[in-house]
Amino acid sequence: MAHNFKSDVVVDWCPGCGDFGILTSITQALTEMNLGGEDVVAVSGIGCSGKTPHYLNIAGVHTLHGRAIPFATGVKLANPNLKVILPSGDGDLLSIGAGHFVAEGRRNTGLTIVLFDNAVYGLTKGQAAPTMALGEKTKSLARENIFGKVNPIALALSSGYSFVARGFSFDMKQLKGLIKMALNHKGSAVIDVLQPCPTYNDVNTMDWYRERVYRLEDEPSWDPVVTKDNADSAAMKFQQAYQKALEWGEKIPTGLFYQNKTIPSFTERLSQFVPNYLTNPPATQVVFNKDHYTVVDPEKTFSDKIID
Amino acid sequence: MDLSLTIGGPQGGGIDTSSNMINRAFAEAGYNVFAVREYHSNIKGRHSYNHIRVKEERPRSLRYPVDILVALDADTLYEHMDDVVAGSKVIYDKSFESGDLSQARLIMRDTAKSIKGRLQSENLPLNVIGAIQHMKNNGAITIAVPFDAVVNSAISGGTPTRYFNTLGSAITLSIAGLPVNFTSEAIKQVFASKPKVVEDNVKVVEAAYKYCEENKLSGTTLKSFPKKQRLLLTGNDAAAIGKVMGGLRFQTYYPITPASDESTVLEEHETLSLIENEKNSLEKAGVVVIQTEDEISAITMAMGAALTGTRSATATSGPGFSLMAEGISFAGMDEVPVVITLYQRGGPSTGLPTRNGQSDLLFALNTGHGEFPRIVLSSGDIEECAYDAMKALNYAQRYQLPVIHLIDKNLATTSDLIPEIDKSRVKIIPALSVSEKEDFLRYNLNTENGISKVGYFGKNIFWMTGDEHDELGHVTEDPEVRDRQMRKRFQKLETAAHEIPLEDRVQVFGEKDADLTFVTWGSQKGPILDVIDDLKKEGIKANMLYLKMFEPFPSEFVKSFLSRAKLVVDVESNLLAQASRVIRLETGIEIENAILKYSGRHMTEDEILSVAKKIINKKEKFVVEVLKNGA
Repeated sequence: MAHNFKSDVVVDWCPGCGDFGILTSITQALTEMNLGGEDVVAVSGIGCSGKTPHYLNIAGVHTLHGRAIPFATGVKLANPNLKVILPSGDGDLLSIGAGHFVAEGRRNTGLTIVLFDNAVYGLTKGQAAPTMALGEKTKSLARENIFGKVNPIALALSSGYSFVARGFSFDMKQLKGLIKMALNHKGSAVIDVLQPCPTYNDVNTMDWYRERVYRLEDEPSWDPVVTKDNADSAAMKFQQAYQKALEWGEKIPTGLFYQNKTIPSFTERLSQFVPNYLTNPPATQVVFNKDHYTVVDPEKTFSDKIID
Repeated sequence: MDLSLTIGGPQGGGIDTSSNMINRAFAEAGYNVFAVREYHSNIKGRHSYNHIRVKEERPRSLRYPVDILVALDADTLYEHMDDVVAGSKVIYDKSFESGDLSQARLIMRDTAKSIKGRLQSENLPLNVIGAIQHMKNNGAITIAVPFDAVVNSAISGGTPTRYFNTLGSAITLSIAGLPVNFTSEAIKQVFASKPKVVEDNVKVVEAAYKYCEENKLSGTTLKSFPKKQRLLLTGNDAAAIGKVMGGLRFQTYYPITPASDESTVLEEHETLSLIENEKNSLEKAGVVVIQTEDEISAITMAMGAALTGTRSATATSGPGFSLMAEGISFAGMDEVPVVITLYQRGGPSTGLPTRNGQSDLLFALNTGHGEFPRIVLSSGDIEECAYDAMKALNYAQRYQLPVIHLIDKNLATTSDLIPEIDKSRVKIIPALSVSEKEDFLRYNLNTENGISKVGYFGKNIFWMTGDEHDELGHVTEDPEVRDRQMRKRFQKLETAAHEIPLEDRVQVFGEKDADLTFVTWGSQKGPILDVIDDLKKEGIKANMLYLKMFEPFPSEFVKSFLSRAKLVVDVESNLLAQASRVIRLETGIEIENAILKYSGRHMTEDEILSVAKKIINKKEKFVVEVLKNGA
């Protein structure tokens, strides 16, 4: 029987919240991938999105504000066999956690980052998040937003993520597909998910998005994937993705912007230096014998420190 | 024999290599060394030096004055002109003699002012000749060696200055009376991977010995002994080795002095050689070492790895530890086993980045928001760094909490020859875990000792949150659950206090019914042991209460011991006498006297001894002495 990925914890998001579509897309993607509950770990930060691991029937950790990425990187590097998904918010990933977001692009560890993008800090009552446009005035703000807006797609591309996509929480079919692709991708993936916050963001509403979003995959010539066989097209595909990243207004593209399958993942890079890393990673290594003493021979390992 | 020597020169001028040669040469001859490195936060040029003590028995501290001072630059002559006395030998390059104090541009402004004042007060010229005359006036034997000419007699062409550190070391060893074969052997070890470098440097060594013989500088030939000690380690090395032996397989770090070296050593040795008969269990293994984007990432990444069942740790110094506070708090709330090796240096803020400090004790005990259990332990010598690193990993696993292992900069960069590390002294204690795929309550409240069973990512399904949580690990604000979870977490500390042997928490060294009791922790352990021996020779009975674990604190033992002590003096490298404050908080006992040092330099045997005698002789109630020795 397929594992039930939905936990029995009561979901306390507001009615009409875009988070529901993301949660359903995640559980459907995991079910369709025929994974077991122990194969996947969810790691989140703080905020409404941060509660997601509790709503999933997989191992999960709801960490500190902004720290989902390094936490998840530790999980993945200690046990590269695990699939690690990060349901986290725009404030979490792009403000307090922005340094980690950039660093993870350089590492390309193999995380699946699902960026809950509603342009506000929901759980602290609607302050402007880094994806809110300059001059925006939502009902929860005392005055219009005086910060500029970060572009998550452009930032992810610039940081080196090898899978960059955008979903819309009311297009669960597309989003589920993107999550499955991301979980199967060997490098790190960012899926920027546009989602309305019905309580605090009365500008970027469900209808506002519905009028604007369109799917990139509906354009017949759209081909964002770099493989070994077409590696020479990487620069062109990167530029094309960047151009699409800048498209925002009357039309907002969703779907896969860029995927580069030729960039080695961090776990592959580590395996060049750490013996048997991929077959026998830290999480499965035996560290002591039957008498509970170390299996390491310190004299041989640290022979350069010995005076002979 | 009890020989003290200082070799100084510009940072980046091969001072460390010199020290390594000298250490290994004496080690080859069966002697023990204790070598301390002092340097500025600077890449090239500023004054750095190694202070080395050599004995047949193991030296545990430094002492002044030094017997031999080797100056590889003129600055060294100024900086150390008061470290030598009658009979001390001072070796320098003859070409320095033309130098003026005003040309020594890399001496710190205030240091230069002080040197100027001392020379002026003796009507000595403000130049190298003045400094040399100052030392001569104090009875030192100064030896000018034409460095260029000696190197050129051995090697033609090339840059003679490149060999000055070898030359200085070889002259020192010749003056000390160490036969040339030991020095040449040390050169071979230091430059093991570079045969041409070995060849040239051995020639320089031979030329140096020849020069000393011709100029009647060679010392009386020293006896040699069978080698007893096997490992030449710094505290950074020892902690790295201990961690690996304790089962560490994941280490994170963000570069910071003096902690980074530990991670570099782990990276250099990430391929682990396994004990022969264990190979069937595992062909080859490795430690994963990750340089993170910051310390926030370092602590949280180590925690993520820990949740897969991997023994994980990070290493940092004060400024980095500040950034780890939120992560440590999470580890406390969520019962994550993680070790933080905290290399203390002089603070606050960037403080004295390359100098010693013991001012993070109270911070280590209070890091993070909210109340949560933690274990805080401290090491006081190089061997302890290794065994404590093994134990720290065990404590983290057994009690499921953050463990802060305090090491100070003095230990981090001091080289000591120690016996091989005995694996049978520390058993690896695994966490109490559930079986694979077993359903369980991660924060089960139904425990005898506060320790709930753990599961691991990849094997079990369980939840964690930084919020207060129910037994499953889901968010709760239920007041009754809150109370029970808080009590359960803190019960682990009581369990730890009960299970961890007293000798791993506090030790007593020295005489019974002592007239003077030292209280200390960290790197003062060595010098105080030496001082206790010195006092004994003078008929004064002294002992030491040596603190190793500050949380859980051995309150009962400390209280009963100190309430029987006659005269107590607290010795620490900070201004607030932080351990005294902990003792007062935990036992209500106020320690009257303190010997403190926060200049960032080592406490030496001689300076502690002189204050100790003053405290005994002076019958005043409160004595606080701030020590200042060291360049």
